[in-house]
Amino acid sequence: MVKVCVPRDSSALSLGADEVAAAIAVEAVRRGAAVRVVRTSSRGLFWLEPLVEVETPAGRIGFGPVDAADVPGLFAAGFLGGGEHALGVGPVAEIPFLKRQERLTFARAGVTEPTSLVDYEAHGGLRGLRRALSMAPAAVVEEVVASGLRGRGGAAFPTGIKWRTVAAAEAPRKYVAVNADEGDSGTYSDRMVMEGDPFVLLEGMAIAGYATGASHGYVYVRSEYPHAIAALEEALAVLRAAGWYGADIQGSGFGFDAEVRVGAGAYICGEETAMLESIEGRRGMVRFKPPLPAIKGLFGMPTVVNNVVSLASVPVILDRGARFYADFGLGSSRGTLPIQLAGNVRRAGLVEKAFGVTLRELVEEYGGGTRSGRPLRALQVGGPLGAYFDSSLLDLPLDYEALARHRGMVGHGGIVVFDDTVDMAAQARYAMEFCAVESCGKCTPCRIGSTRAQELIDRILRGEDAPANHAQLLKLCDVMESASLCALGGMAPWPVLSALRYFPGDFGLPPATEAARVV
Amino acid sequence: MWSELRALRDEIDYGTPPRDGAPVTLTIDGVAVTVPAGSSVMLAAAEARRAVPKLCATDMLEAFGSCRVCLVEIEGRRGYPASCTTPVEPGMAVRTRSDRLQALRAGVMELYLSDFPAADIPGGWSELHEVIQATGVAQHPYGRGENHLDAPVDESNPYFLFDPAKCIVCSRCVRACEEVQGTFALTIEGRGFASKVAASQGQPFLDSECVSCGACVQACPTQSLVEKSLFVGGYRRADSP
Amino acid sequence: MKEAVLPKPLRRPEAPQYPAYDTAQVAAVLARWADTSGNLLPILHDIQRALGHVPPGAVGQIARALNRSRAEVHGVITFYHDFRQAPAGRHVLKLCQAESCQAMGSRQLTAEVEALLGCRLGETTADGAVTLEPVYCLGNCACSPAAMLDGRVLGRVTRAKLERLLDAVGRG
Ligand SMILES: Cc1cc2nc3c(=O)[nH]c(=O)nc-3n(C[C@H](O)[C@H](O)[C@H](O)COP(=O)(O)O)c2cc1C
Ligand code: SF4
Ligand code: SF4
Ligand code: FES
Ligand code: FES
Repeated sequence: MVKVCVPRDSSALSLGADEVAAAIAVEAVRRGAAVRVVRTSSRGLFWLEPLVEVETPAGRIGFGPVDAADVPGLFAAGFLGGGEHALGVGPVAEIPFLKRQERLTFARAGVTEPTSLVDYEAHGGLRGLRRALSMAPAAVVEEVVASGLRGRGGAAFPTGIKWRTVAAAEAPRKYVAVNADEGDSGTYSDRMVMEGDPFVLLEGMAIAGYATGASHGYVYVRSEYPHAIAALEEALAVLRAAGWYGADIQGSGFGFDAEVRVGAGAYICGEETAMLESIEGRRGMVRFKPPLPAIKGLFGMPTVVNNVVSLASVPVILDRGARFYADFGLGSSRGTLPIQLAGNVRRAGLVEKAFGVTLRELVEEYGGGTRSGRPLRALQVGGPLGAYFDSSLLDLPLDYEALARHRGMVGHGGIVVFDDTVDMAAQARYAMEFCAVESCGKCTPCRIGSTRAQELIDRILRGEDAPANHAQLLKLCDVMESASLCALGGMAPWPVLSALRYFPGDFGLPPATEAARVV
Repeated sequence: MWSELRALRDEIDYGTPPRDGAPVTLTIDGVAVTVPAGSSVMLAAAEARRAVPKLCATDMLEAFGSCRVCLVEIEGRRGYPASCTTPVEPGMAVRTRSDRLQALRAGVMELYLSDFPAADIPGGWSELHEVIQATGVAQHPYGRGENHLDAPVDESNPYFLFDPAKCIVCSRCVRACEEVQGTFALTIEGRGFASKVAASQGQPFLDSECVSCGACVQACPTQSLVEKSLFVGGYRRADSP
Repeated sequence: MKEAVLPKPLRRPEAPQYPAYDTAQVAAVLARWADTSGNLLPILHDIQRALGHVPPGAVGQIARALNRSRAEVHGVITFYHDFRQAPAGRHVLKLCQAESCQAMGSRQLTAEVEALLGCRLGETTADGAVTLEPVYCLGNCACSPAAMLDGRVLGRVTRAKLERLLDAVGRG
């Protein structure tokens, strides 16, 4: 019986993975070949999706991108024995894009069957939770503090410190609320965790619950992720049945359960307080802080709010120790970061690396340059609120401090690549359009400012008194940055200001002076 | 007539409701002031007679933090926290006036005025007009853009009317209906720039869950919700100047 | 603080007349979620799944069951882009408008699809077959441009591919 792996990750499905899996099953029957088609998830090598992997004595041999129509040809070429075929990519683990990564959080991505607990445990799963349950809760918190893990959702707040606050809060009930609203364009790592290795998130949640004294969890998943929702529900049921979720986990006396909540099309519900409002069944309006959610969060109770990748990084920290994790990275950027390459890039995919890798390595060596083959002109790092950079900044390392020095941010780790056909004025305008579409509407700078900024950009582009409108746009950006209630209004100016800084010509404005470029 | 209405209000609106914690001493523009723990910086500033401009805050409602004209500077903190939502702390040193704060408040007021009937900016009394005076911002640089100036007036209620053109979406009416009256007849419909006050499901006030208690009218800082009796001969929108 | 200035109470009218809808299905959804805290979003999702939209007439029924006002429920429905107050076309096509897809030509693609269907983003074709909507990232940015047809995610989308799929689902 030959094991053939076909991903069920939604990007692979979007390219016909189900049809490929069905075609392999049909062709196998037709040829009388003994084949077991297993639905794994994606390795994150998306330019190869659908990537079919055949298990051979020499490891898994890959073929991709496979179309259902290619399947008879693959059989004919003897792909079940790893035979030569035009779509063959050789041993998957040896593909340089993958081999050069440091996969800790994504160790199982594309390797295991996402909702097979046997597979999960065989690949190191549940070791972190087992160890946590053998420790005092406070010691678990300190292990996470020592690992240097910072939130991967965007704000980069130290995860362990947040847990300390929740652990110290006295309350009748505490919660763990997972932020799976992943709204940033160019990001998909949360989705990959939930679809490809949902147990690791649920394990991380349970550890967070144990460490902080929380008994109930919510995973707030955006509605655009139907496959992630299904995988999580399935994984939850498996864990409950196996006694790893529920009233008394493995006889430890610690009880923890969780439910999946589905968003309804609102980027702002990724902001943690808006997410809490949404889980409570209200309009996703941003709350002011203080009080912090860690003190007064969901239903007024102390709540750990963490991003999917933050929590999915916790099991390996508990399993291998804080020191092991902290040895990756540098300065105050510790551990690994799952970077997501997107947009106009030849090899789009997930790169999990220790902090410190440069944009150039990512975009050129991993990404292989633009997909169109045209010169690269701009990058947007860190989602729709992140800065645009031009190619002169490619040698920046991707860490929190280096990007902050250039008025950028790591955000959720997305990099969107644009070639030389991009119109940066249109991109700047879009940033404000997006802010206007997605603003919760609570505070004035964002609610009205985002619309006014679009109008100012339109006037600049029409050449209507461009210097005055440019000056007013800069003033408005300053007001939005300094006076908005949350980072949507507060950072929507970043893509605009960076586009103006690096690409003034696209706005019909005179070239920026060197002084304006250096920040 | 606005002055009469003004007289109906308390002498000072402290911006946020009183608290009864242990005394906390801080300085506002160098003036020491002692207020109960749990109080807002805004309340402390009002106590110190260094009132901060405000639009979404009133001491009959819990703080909300949406209008962003009450920003202050606090020694040792980054940025410009809203004074209505920032609790006092012992030894805190607050600045309520600076060129930077003036510029930010002016920037916010310009945004409000860019979606407010121009003819209603001069003269008149409302809390919005007080802030116009306090910040010295009576016009805006945005020209004509998208706006809510043509939204129809709702005169269905016999006692008060709602002119959405003057609404700054501060939610005070919505919150008054909830917090003061417990009726929950109002909401904000939509989001972002399209956000607007709605009674029940966007019905005329008279056909909604509104019980005509007037709490929203009393809470409104712009006379967008206003008593009809103030308009002899009926309500007419002012013509552009 | 002065007393409220207005006499009260007036009358408290019934909810306005809205088109009839399947009250039994809504009741079933409400019963299913009765014991869950913060249940409004799951309820609205389930009603929309069952009825294709959240009928304005159902708002009163939902509000009564949750002991909330119609205003509150209406505020929530109108906040979230997913919830519809009127039925959509027979098929819903969402085209991603966000940056990664822009970098791969989504602006051009959108214009082509608008021309193909004869309707703009946010509109439904005249024959009621397809509702065309914007979406801001489907997490399929490694395979941009992306789209979603009746809940199914599509990657590396071209006009030709969409046309084929629309024909297959019977866009007529
Ligand atoms: C407009 C906006 C959108 C956000 N979207 C997300 C998101 O989609 N996912 C996420 O994890 N964090 C998002 N955040 C950050 C959260 O507010 C919060 O910092 C994070 O969930 C905390 O988890 P972490 O510390 O593990 O990163 C967003 C913040 C803002 C201001
Ligand atoms: S900045 Fe925008 S999204 Fe954030 S609170 Fe203000 S209006 Fe809401
Ligand atoms: S009607 Fe008045 S109180 Fe209500 S939101 Fe508008 S301005 Fe504020
Ligand atoms: S008064 Fe403080 S934000 Fe409005
Ligand atoms: S930007 Fe289109 S799928 Fe992410």
